[in-house]
Amino acid sequence: MPPRQNASRPTTTGTRVQAQPQPSTDDPRIMLDRQIGADLFEPIPPYPPRTEREGEFYTLGDGEMFLNVGPHHPATHGVLRLVLKLSGEQVVDVDPVLGYLHRGVEKICENSDYYHVIDQVDPLEYISSLFQEWAAVLSFEKLMDVEVPRRAEYIRVLSGELLRIASHTLYMGFLALDLGGLTPILYGFIERDEIVEMLAALTGARMLFNYFRIGGVNGDLNHEFMSRLGDWMSRAARQTEASAGLLNENEIFVRRTRGMGVLDRATALRFGVTGGNLRATGVPFDVRRAHPYSVYPELDFSIPTRTEGDSLARYLIRVDEVRESIKIIDQCLHNIPDGPVMAKLPRLLRPRPGRSWGACEGPRGMMGVYSISDGSDGPFRFRIHDPSFVNLETVPALLPGNLLADTMAIVASLDPVMGGIDK
Amino acid sequence: MDRILKTRLEARLAEHLRGPVYQRHDETEIRIEPGSVPEVLRILHDAVDLRFEILADLAGVDTGEVMQVVYHLWSPMASDWLRIIADGLSRDDPRAPSATFLWTGAEWLEREAYDMFGIVFEGNRDLRRIFMPPDYTSFPLRKDFLLPDDSARSPGAGVRHVERGYGPAGLADDPAAGIRRAPAS
Repeated sequence: MPPRQNASRPTTTGTRVQAQPQPSTDDPRIMLDRQIGADLFEPIPPYPPRTEREGEFYTLGDGEMFLNVGPHHPATHGVLRLVLKLSGEQVVDVDPVLGYLHRGVEKICENSDYYHVIDQVDPLEYISSLFQEWAAVLSFEKLMDVEVPRRAEYIRVLSGELLRIASHTLYMGFLALDLGGLTPILYGFIERDEIVEMLAALTGARMLFNYFRIGGVNGDLNHEFMSRLGDWMSRAARQTEASAGLLNENEIFVRRTRGMGVLDRATALRFGVTGGNLRATGVPFDVRRAHPYSVYPELDFSIPTRTEGDSLARYLIRVDEVRESIKIIDQCLHNIPDGPVMAKLPRLLRPRPGRSWGACEGPRGMMGVYSISDGSDGPFRFRIHDPSFVNLETVPALLPGNLLADTMAIVASLDPVMGGIDK
Repeated sequence: MDRILKTRLEARLAEHLRGPVYQRHDETEIRIEPGSVPEVLRILHDAVDLRFEILADLAGVDTGEVMQVVYHLWSPMASDWLRIIADGLSRDDPRAPSATFLWTGAEWLEREAYDMFGIVFEGNRDLRRIFMPPDYTSFPLRKDFLLPDDSARSPGAGVRHVERGYGPAGLADDPAAGIRRAPAS
C-alpha cells in the first residue's frame, strides 16, 4: 500500500503548497462538496493569493504551522473562522475569515419598505437587537422629520438599558467560560432570563423584539412588565455586585486577563474601535454623551473609562456600565411622563429624497445606519455599521505574541457577535 | 446644525469642495472629488480646530448613475456628524484612494465596499472579498445586480434550487432594465 499522500500539508518551509487536484467529474453536487470540503478543512485556500497580504500570510516560515479555529467552534461566538499561524504554541499571525453568516441584510432592506426594515435588522445583533432597531429608526426619523413623543423616548431608553444589562451579564459569563470557568455563565443567564422575560411582557418576543417604530414604540408599558421590573430592580444592584464579585476577585480570572491583548489609545482610534473596548483605552467616547440622542441629555450618568486597555479593563468597564444602566433605569422610572407612545404617521411612508445618518450606543459600541431615500416607500440605500465588525478587526493586531490558549480569551473580551459582523 | 463647523470647513477646504456645505438636523455634508480624499481626510483629522479623529463609517453607494464612497466622521470639536461624499466614481471602473493611511480600521470597511460594489481602493494592502465566497464574480449591492443571473455564475449554481434560472425572461439580457436610480440631488 502506498503511503497516504497529503499534498496540502506543507512539507517544505517558505513555500506555498497547493492542494492536489482531484479527478474531475461532471456532477455539480460532488464538485460543490469538494469545494465546501476544501473551504472548511483546508487552511490554505485552493486558489492563488489575491493580495500581497494573503500571499504573505499563507506562506509558512521556519517551524510554523497553520491551525484552523472554527467556523464551528464553541468558543468563536458564532461562525467565525480564525486561521492561526503558529510557532510552537505562540500565535504569529491571524487571518479572520468572515461571511459564514452573511445574509445580505442591506440588500433585503433596500427591497423592503420602511416599516419592514425594522423587522429585518432585528437578527443582526441578536443579543441586543433593540439597538439595531434604534439606529434604524433614528436614521429614518431624521429622514422624515418625525418628532417622537417624550414618553416613547423614555420607554426606548428604559428597554434599551435593560437589554444592555442583559448583554453585559452574558458577556461576563462567556468571557469566563472561554477561560474555563463554568459558573458565571449560569448566573449570567439567570440575570438575562429575568430581563428577557420582562421584555417579552413588554414586546411580545424574547429575542427579536421588533418593538421600536418610526415615531415611537409598538406598545405602552403594561402591568406585567412594571411588576417584573419592580421586582428585579429591588435586587438588581445586589445581584450585579454578587456576580461581579464572582470574577473580580477570582485570581485565575484576573491573572489570565490582566495585561492580555493590550490595545492602546492611539491604535484603538486608528482602528475606529468604539464602545467599551475604546473606553477601556481611556477615550471617553460614548455616543450617548458624545453625540446625544433621545432623552440621554436629561439623565444623570457617567461614562466609565480605564486606561489599561487589556482584557481585564474591558471586562471591568462592562461591570461599571451595568451599574450606570441601573442608575438610568431608576431615573427613567421616576421621570417618565404621560402621553402617547407613537407619533401620528401615514400608513405609507414616502420621505422626500435625502440622506441621513443615525447612530446610537449599543452594548458593543456605536451602531450606525446611513440611509438614502429616493422618494419611494423604501430606502434606496441602507448601510449598517456594526461595532463588532470593527472591534473584531483589531484581532490580527492583538493576538500575535500570545499563546494559543489565550486567543479565545482575547477574542471573547472584545465581545463580537457574528450576526452583526456578517450582516 | 453647527454653523461654526460650516465656516471652518469652508475656510479649510475651499479648494476641495464640490458644491456648498449642506446641513440638516445634526449632520453636515460635504462633497469632494475622489482624488482629493487623502488630502481632505488628512486636513480633517489633523487640523486643530477640526480634529475628526473617529471614523464612524465608510460605505459604498451606487446611485445608478455613479458610485460614491461615503465617510462619516466624529469630532469632539463639533456637535454634528460630518459626512464626506466622494462623488462621481465611474460605474465601469470605480476607483478611490484608500483611507487606511489614516485609519487602519478602514481596511475591512473598504474590503466590504469592494465586496459589495466592486470599488477598488488604491493603497489598501488586503483588498479581497470579505463576505462573499472568493470565486464570486459579481457585486451584490450594485443596482444592476440580478440574483438569478449573477448567482448562476457562482459554483453552487444548479445545486440549490432557488438559484436555478428563474425570474423574468429577458431581464438579464438587458443590463439597463430594472435598475433603480437615485434622484439627482
